[in-house]
Amino acid sequence: MLNIDLTYSWASFSAHYQVNITKGLTTLLGGSGEGKSTLLQLVGGFIEGDGKLTFEDDNLQGMPPYNRPITTLFQSDNLFPQLTVWQNIAIGLHPSGKLTDKERSTVEWALSKTQLKEQLDKFPDMLSGGQAQRVALARALVRKRPILLLDEPFSALDPNLREEMLLLVADLTHDLGLTTLLISHHPHEAKLAGGNIMLIKSGKVQVHGDVSLLEEYDSIPALAGYLGPNKLSVELG
Amino acid sequence: MRIELSALSLSLSQWRLLPAFCLILVFTLIGAASLAALLFYGEADRWGSYLSSTYLWRVVRFSLWQALLSSVLSIGFAIPIASALMRRQFFGRDTLFQLFAVSMVVPSIVAILGIVIVYGRSGWINSWIGVEVPLYGLLGILLAHLFFNLPLAVRLLVQAHGLIPQAQWRLALQLGFSRWQAFKTIEWHYIRKALPGAFVLIFMLCFSSFAVVLSLGGGPKSSTLEVAIYQALRFDFDVSKASVLSLLQVLICSSVALLIYRFSLPLKQDNSVLTLTSYRLKDSFWSRLFDYGAIAFALLLIIPPFIAILEPVYSKVFWQTLQDKKMWMAVGVSLKIAIPAAILSVTLGIGFVFVARYAYFRPQLVWLAKLVEHLGSSILMIPGLVIATGLFLIFRQIGWGFDQGYWIVVWVNGMMALPFVLRALVPVFYQQEKRYRMLYASLGIWGWPRFLLEWPVVRGSISQAFGYALLLCLGDMGVIALFGSSGLMSLPLYLFQLIGSYRLEQGSSVAVVLVILCVLLFVLSTRIIGGVSRVKH
Repeated sequence: MLNIDLTYSWASFSAHYQVNITKGLTTLLGGSGEGKSTLLQLVGGFIEGDGKLTFEDDNLQGMPPYNRPITTLFQSDNLFPQLTVWQNIAIGLHPSGKLTDKERSTVEWALSKTQLKEQLDKFPDMLSGGQAQRVALARALVRKRPILLLDEPFSALDPNLREEMLLLVADLTHDLGLTTLLISHHPHEAKLAGGNIMLIKSGKVQVHGDVSLLEEYDSIPALAGYLGPNKLSVELG
Repeated sequence: MRIELSALSLSLSQWRLLPAFCLILVFTLIGAASLAALLFYGEADRWGSYLSSTYLWRVVRFSLWQALLSSVLSIGFAIPIASALMRRQFFGRDTLFQLFAVSMVVPSIVAILGIVIVYGRSGWINSWIGVEVPLYGLLGILLAHLFFNLPLAVRLLVQAHGLIPQAQWRLALQLGFSRWQAFKTIEWHYIRKALPGAFVLIFMLCFSSFAVVLSLGGGPKSSTLEVAIYQALRFDFDVSKASVLSLLQVLICSSVALLIYRFSLPLKQDNSVLTLTSYRLKDSFWSRLFDYGAIAFALLLIIPPFIAILEPVYSKVFWQTLQDKKMWMAVGVSLKIAIPAAILSVTLGIGFVFVARYAYFRPQLVWLAKLVEHLGSSILMIPGLVIATGLFLIFRQIGWGFDQGYWIVVWVNGMMALPFVLRALVPVFYQQEKRYRMLYASLGIWGWPRFLLEWPVVRGSISQAFGYALLLCLGDMGVIALFGSSGLMSLPLYLFQLIGSYRLEQGSSVAVVLVILCVLLFVLSTRIIGGVSRVKH
């Protein structure tokens, strides 16, 4: 269980997140500028808020990002362009990139999970956008941190590729027992991935519950407001 | 029909640039004439004997050796210092950066004086800890070159540091990189691309270093080509020898530059959407010790000579020096040289930049823009003393001697400042062309009226250019040494003579006056030309 009770203020924006998140995949929905990314950055430790943040009763607040049981995948820039695919994944296990035999097999495992076996000697600029984000995902896997935060890492990909990646994340979350938070702009993706949804508005968690809530939007004003009168994003997805 | 019309308008607008073209032509012709003079007036049949003399090759070897050591040491120390400065936030960090900037533009002879006061025979080190530093010779040259070039190297590396995408630091933070791992994985990758360029620049500056070697070389054992040229002309009156040495100098400088650029890696910004925030990477006692150690080393090297120069302000000698007529005459000569030279340099610079920007935004003329830009900075490869020697040969042919040296001093100083003037002018002028050239073309505004319209936007950078040119010309201790006489004695030359006769206290009083003059003129020129309120671009 990831327990969040954090406040954060910046310029005219002020947020107070109060939510308890269970194992599995949770999709964060909400308009831009409402504070989805801020929440992930607070949990990841890239910005410092006030309040309480615990995971399985361990206090995370004040901990530097590299010590938190968390891996964050950013929208872009997840790879070092000067390192090969293999090196980019290996530094997830040890910053020097020097691995034991056991660690090597961990990297091999992650490469096969993300279908990157052919690419291991390539540099990031030789990869497609989807491959590059799979490398980042592979690194997240080898780090074996129980929490995975995804800040729209697939937003630049084509729709079919995006869905493929989403299903991969959903599978990995299930297989490895992760607590995954994923930001999306597409409600139908939440339906596809399953799990829970969370609607963020003005720096607050407005709705939190099973993805099936999307079907009952009529009875939930906040959700109805977000989806708009025609609900195209849900229906068409 | 339309094509013909545009061709016609093209040639018309090119005619408008005629005055600017003329400036470039004059610049090029004088430079070429001076090199040609070196080739023709030197007695070719005697070249063989010079080239086979052991003296010459000893000088060449020493020139290369001290330049190599100076640039390797400057860059070697600059790497940890730049890295530490980018990594650590501490009180006085901005001041330190400003101090670095000052130590790059402070007149060389002033810094030399500071170094002599700190490390010299009766200097601070000797009187405090009783260790006599063997200053005169290689060590003194290296110390002075480090003083000037370490800050330069740090600055160049800090620029390269700025190209590291912020996202890489964020990743390093997430992955828990240590100080050393972050350096190895991230910083080194960017820094090493900036190294060849930094090396060439510093190597050139040290290879053609004149004032430092003349004052601290301590004799023929540690003489460089540049000093040998000076001695050949000034003491042996051996034009032939001077021309051989000059040509050799140009040859070595340009080959080193070509060689290094061939193997240099392109420096480019990786695409990153993240804006600047600083992340606190994993830290440790040892990495803190290392970083602050590097910064302390830089402070120890840079600060003492500055303090040393300012020390005599409270002494009686300072007030006596202020009443010295000879010094005020030197102030007059310095102004008489620096102001016309700076005006010349900025005028040339504006001519260059007008042609270059016109060509730059026209695809079929881009080559011309590149050519003009290279021409403007080519002077970095041809030391001022060499140009001056060539011009002297031409002057001698028409019956002028050392007495008419004033004109050569002004011209060569103006030429030498051109690369720095261009660096200040190019960005703003290019930007104006890029944004408004269509508008100006559609309204038919060109030439002087256009310059007047642009003035509020460009005056800031023109004043910067003028200020830098003034500083460089005021501090010049190269060409003036060749043509200086009792009638043409600038402040740096006067100071050089005082150091030579160990009148250090009087020397530092003169140095203070020189520094005050520099600051005063720089501030005045930026205020008057730059204006108080600047229009936002």
